[in-house]
Amino acid sequence: MAPASHRTKSSGPAPPSKTLVLDNGAYTIKAGFSSIGGATEPKIIPNSIARDRDRRTYTGSDLEKCKDFGEINFRRPMEKGYIVNWEAQKEIWEHEFFENKSELYCEPLETGLILTEAPNALPQLQTHCDQIVFEEFGFASYLRCPGPTLNAYNDIPHHFFKALAREATQPLLPAEIVVIIDSGYSHTTITPLLQGRPIQAAIRRLDIGGKLMTNYLTRLISLRQYDMRNDIYLVNEIKEATVYMSKDFKADMEVTWKGPKGDRRPLYETGGGIGKDYVLPDYHNTTKGYVRDHDPTNAGKLKKMQTGKSAEAAEDILTLRNERYAVPELLLNPTDIGLRQSGIAQLVMESLSCIPFGLWPGFLANILVVGGNANIEGFLWRLNDEIRALAPTECFVRVGRPEHPIISTWNGGAELAKDVDRLASMSITKQEYEEFGAGWVQRKFNGQ
Amino acid sequence: MINFGVREVAMSTVPDRPGWAYVPDTGLNASVTALQPTSRKRHRTELVGDNSAKQDAKLLRDLAALDRESHRDVSIPVPVRNRDNAGRVSHGKVTPAVRKILQSQKTFGNYLGDFEAHVAAGTQPVSLPPAPNAPRLAPIPASATPFKRSHKKKDPNAPPKEPLRKSSMPVLKAESSHLPIQNSVGEEKLADALDPPPHPRDKDPLLRSWIPSIPTQEEIMKLLTAPPLSYNKAKGNWTEDDRRKPVRQFCEVCGYWGRVKCMRCGGRVCALECLNTHKEECFTRYGA
Ligand SMILES: [Zn+2]
Ligand SMILES: [Zn+2]
Repeated sequence: MAPASHRTKSSGPAPPSKTLVLDNGAYTIKAGFSSIGGATEPKIIPNSIARDRDRRTYTGSDLEKCKDFGEINFRRPMEKGYIVNWEAQKEIWEHEFFENKSELYCEPLETGLILTEAPNALPQLQTHCDQIVFEEFGFASYLRCPGPTLNAYNDIPHHFFKALAREATQPLLPAEIVVIIDSGYSHTTITPLLQGRPIQAAIRRLDIGGKLMTNYLTRLISLRQYDMRNDIYLVNEIKEATVYMSKDFKADMEVTWKGPKGDRRPLYETGGGIGKDYVLPDYHNTTKGYVRDHDPTNAGKLKKMQTGKSAEAAEDILTLRNERYAVPELLLNPTDIGLRQSGIAQLVMESLSCIPFGLWPGFLANILVVGGNANIEGFLWRLNDEIRALAPTECFVRVGRPEHPIISTWNGGAELAKDVDRLASMSITKQEYEEFGAGWVQRKFNGQ
Repeated sequence: MINFGVREVAMSTVPDRPGWAYVPDTGLNASVTALQPTSRKRHRTELVGDNSAKQDAKLLRDLAALDRESHRDVSIPVPVRNRDNAGRVSHGKVTPAVRKILQSQKTFGNYLGDFEAHVAAGTQPVSLPPAPNAPRLAPIPASATPFKRSHKKKDPNAPPKEPLRKSSMPVLKAESSHLPIQNSVGEEKLADALDPPPHPRDKDPLLRSWIPSIPTQEEIMKLLTAPPLSYNKAKGNWTEDDRRKPVRQFCEVCGYWGRVKCMRCGGRVCALECLNTHKEECFTRYGA
């Protein structure tokens, strides 16, 4: 039994003229407006309330005002990729969207909302989200959907696989068949999509994401060089600047091997093309560190001392060798840290095993990696190689990534919001929520 | 080395000495359970390597530490100056449901535990509030396929939404398995529109004899309308293939292959030099 909808094209309220597209990630929010006329550029906002060592707090995008990230701490509203703490999430949203001076200020009663969530969310948390969106903020309309699905509204063949662009006059159609690997801060998910709709039974999650990799790098550096456990923000920057996915793990291990006894092998001393020095910021003269090739003579340090600067002004350097490739390797070999899960390539095959064989060629030829970890150098090559080795030889395997993997999900949402009718058919209105309640919302969004 | 909050723990004279300790054991918590398989049967078969109970406990502790937001517990309150909501859009009165949500201190582990307990007991996992404006006897739809609602009890005078609906339905044609590849090949733009465009690997002998059967419409619909898996069920497995492979072991000191096992703690090191470094740490941790 279904409720009669009061909203028809002739009598119901018109869809809101603009949509706030909100890809609410655990590390950063990607947010901006989209309407029939076009979309803004998304703003990337830290999804956190931070406090520095002078006990100043920074809500969301205020973090860009911070100059000293030493020992900085973060409170994050999301846990395991899901919004758990609404007190903090509401504070960040209020600050970013509902203060008069907010760059992305909007009046929710006149605005539609597309909000992403990680797949396989807990129903209780989904209902909390729906209640906050309507009962607290009062958005005019609302679509809550798994983030990976929005990628289907990008012109996937054109942007990622270099085919002809979609004609501007053509109606928006979601990508026919694609697997989205979304590797973010909290985890990595594998979501096969048919015409923009997820095959729910085939979605798989690897509990490794950017946070775990940063923590692992922190552990390795703290064991071997400096105690960085209170400087995870800095370790994350070091990670982003230095890690890469090895094409040949065993060979790289030999290059970075220090040698059998006390004497160091020459290849180890020079870095062998793998060793890199990261010059740490002092948060006094410099707020950002930087990376350069490993310098066995530590010439930079000597030079500074000779120019008459005090020893305190000398650089502090971390040298990274096997840490560079051992950290992202976890995405393909989680058992390297004892985690009892298979790597992404195996999980793609596990996901496909829930899908009729006839669809495998289409999925294997259209694997798209999004999220921050898609930026790891060498990741696509290795993933392609490993999936190739596991897939039926008859299948063509192709792994791609969008030009900007972090905002790809947001871009897809912005494309969808340009098609007002399609978005309206997927969304629910404030009026519908008030009439039919949270349970109905839950069922409607699940049927998607 | 001054002024950026990083404490050097390795003496310059002994560069390899690990002056680092794991975070104190806080016991098993929800994050461990979330990281590791929960069922006893799986746990038994999924032990990595030939570990003792002590090593397993250390492994779980290490994994829990890797899952944390920071190595210390921090509590950062919402800034006080914002509590009066000055300069903000007024959202009106806070409803009781919203107040309860905003005050909740539950963690993800708490919510997951609640959910799994309800599933185990066979009860409704979510207590759904009634619709805010619904009249007392408002029919609450019981259908599990709410998307179909507009096909059914629709105002017969309303303009048909059929074209839109159809475009969002999964209509996969027989050639759909070729489609993504054909889309990706720019040179095919001149191909006869009536015929499927040629594929770059059409001459590949491997492809010639291989025609996978395309699933039927019913099969596709079944795939797309199946409900989501629960959080725990969506967790990727440790596949049978992977379980048969030896687990790689690394030197805890330098990161090279961990070929030597410490007799005292079972930790791995690469060779004598790192074993000596490890022994000092091992001694301080476990005593003689
Ligand atoms: Zn070693
Ligand atoms: Zn030991």
